[in-house]
Amino acid sequence: MSTPVAITGIGQTRYAAKRDDLSMPGLVREAAKRALDDAGVDWSDIDAVVLGKAPDMFEGVVQPELFLAGALGAVGKPMMRVHTAGSVGGSTAVVASHLISSGVHKRILTVAWEKQSESNAMWALSQRFPFAPPTTAGAGGYFAPIIRAYMRRTDAPEHIGWQVAVKDRQNAALNPLAHLQIPDISLEKVQASPMLWDPIRYLETCPSSDGACAMVMSCEDDGHKDAAWVHGTAMRSEPMLFAGRDEVSPQAGKDCARDAYAEAGITPADIDCAELYVPFSWYEPMWLENVGLAESGWRAVDEGRTALGGDLPINMSGGVLSSNPIGASGMIRFAEAALQVRGRAGAHQVDGAKLALGHAYGGGSQFFSMWIVGSERPS
Amino acid sequence: MELTSPFTLEYAYKRSLGPVLSRFFTALRDGRLEGVRTATGRVLFPPLEYDPDTGEDVGEPVEVGPGGVVTAWTAAPPPGEAWVLVRLDGADTAMLHRFTGDPASLETGLRVTARLAEQRVGFITDIAGFEVEA
Repeated sequence: MSTPVAITGIGQTRYAAKRDDLSMPGLVREAAKRALDDAGVDWSDIDAVVLGKAPDMFEGVVQPELFLAGALGAVGKPMMRVHTAGSVGGSTAVVASHLISSGVHKRILTVAWEKQSESNAMWALSQRFPFAPPTTAGAGGYFAPIIRAYMRRTDAPEHIGWQVAVKDRQNAALNPLAHLQIPDISLEKVQASPMLWDPIRYLETCPSSDGACAMVMSCEDDGHKDAAWVHGTAMRSEPMLFAGRDEVSPQAGKDCARDAYAEAGITPADIDCAELYVPFSWYEPMWLENVGLAESGWRAVDEGRTALGGDLPINMSGGVLSSNPIGASGMIRFAEAALQVRGRAGAHQVDGAKLALGHAYGGGSQFFSMWIVGSERPS
Repeated sequence: MELTSPFTLEYAYKRSLGPVLSRFFTALRDGRLEGVRTATGRVLFPPLEYDPDTGEDVGEPVEVGPGGVVTAWTAAPPPGEAWVLVRLDGADTAMLHRFTGDPASLETGLRVTARLAEQRVGFITDIAGFEVEA
């Protein structure tokens, strides 16, 4: 029988295009300190630190876990780094939770971050490595044809992407930490924004952000009546390229979701709200189908079900479309899911949320991580 | 047959220093050597953003040096370079830097002094090196 895992502290930085007021250690420190303060614990109460970070080329920092040990109070303690491309923030939280559930540690600080202003992800993702197929134009260039395939397969109308772009920015306006603040966002504005990678328009893409997210996890509630509890975790991966691969709805994503629901002992219908990793608007309907939350993702969007007032709110925080410090973006999904079931999401709170899903994906839709968190301690 | 292909990767990264190190390098550019005091009273030079012993934030700047004592050293045979660990007066930690004097004079406990560069830009090489104290 595994030990229940409580999320007792959550800390996030303000997300912005440039946090040049802080060094990289200062950035992770800001989130970590807020998580400790939220949990009511100190550096000395932490047994181990689990750090997540997307590819080293993004900032040119190799072995960031060594670079950041001092800033995260990890000197003399176990410290490890997790790396699963864009899904890393989620995987990091999953790995951290396993160090508690397995009984190895009692209290963990987990942190994920990216400082995009000191790097250039577009450059890092556009290298033409010898003997390898190029992704040629960053993440958008890679995902655009997959989105087209989804639209063709499901007869989805073009405005679905615009609706997601509007909805997430309206949610971001309720989240003071969100990077993009576009209070006058509208379908017309999205539709009129420049086409970047057909069918993805400028306002249907995520920003480049600096930021960090941190959580304190514990084998007990640390005296917090409003701790969130981990009910299920799962990770899956598959190769980026193989014959017959369904890039629109990868098998690894389906398997990951199935495992997470099974561990939590629930069905997708039990989920009150979810934070899905949506860096391009169309990935909301696509992931809704992939993780089993909706039979037709685009119809769920079109009917307004995924809006904050709908019956299946998605990306209440504004999502990746509003803040994207890549390495942290997955952990922000997981942390925001936890905030919802703690009833601590402020203006973007879903009334009475009891079970929430956090989701992240990375690479060429080849790494997946998910967790299901609840307001009640799992039985 | 082995296939190979050249591949050159170049990118100019940026770095932001944050408040503690920005203060240190600004002072250095202005010709002052400033460490930081930790909550436990130790003076770290060069400064760190966080106390490595406790993980706590560090405190106010403390001017140190320019004189100090060699705590360890190494020298390559002439005409090689010599390197010293120097604990500056007023500091509790030592820094590694170049020794510009006669390597034959090096010994642990030697008194040395920092020689600042004429043109300073806010980089650690604004300390050109250490030489034997007059």
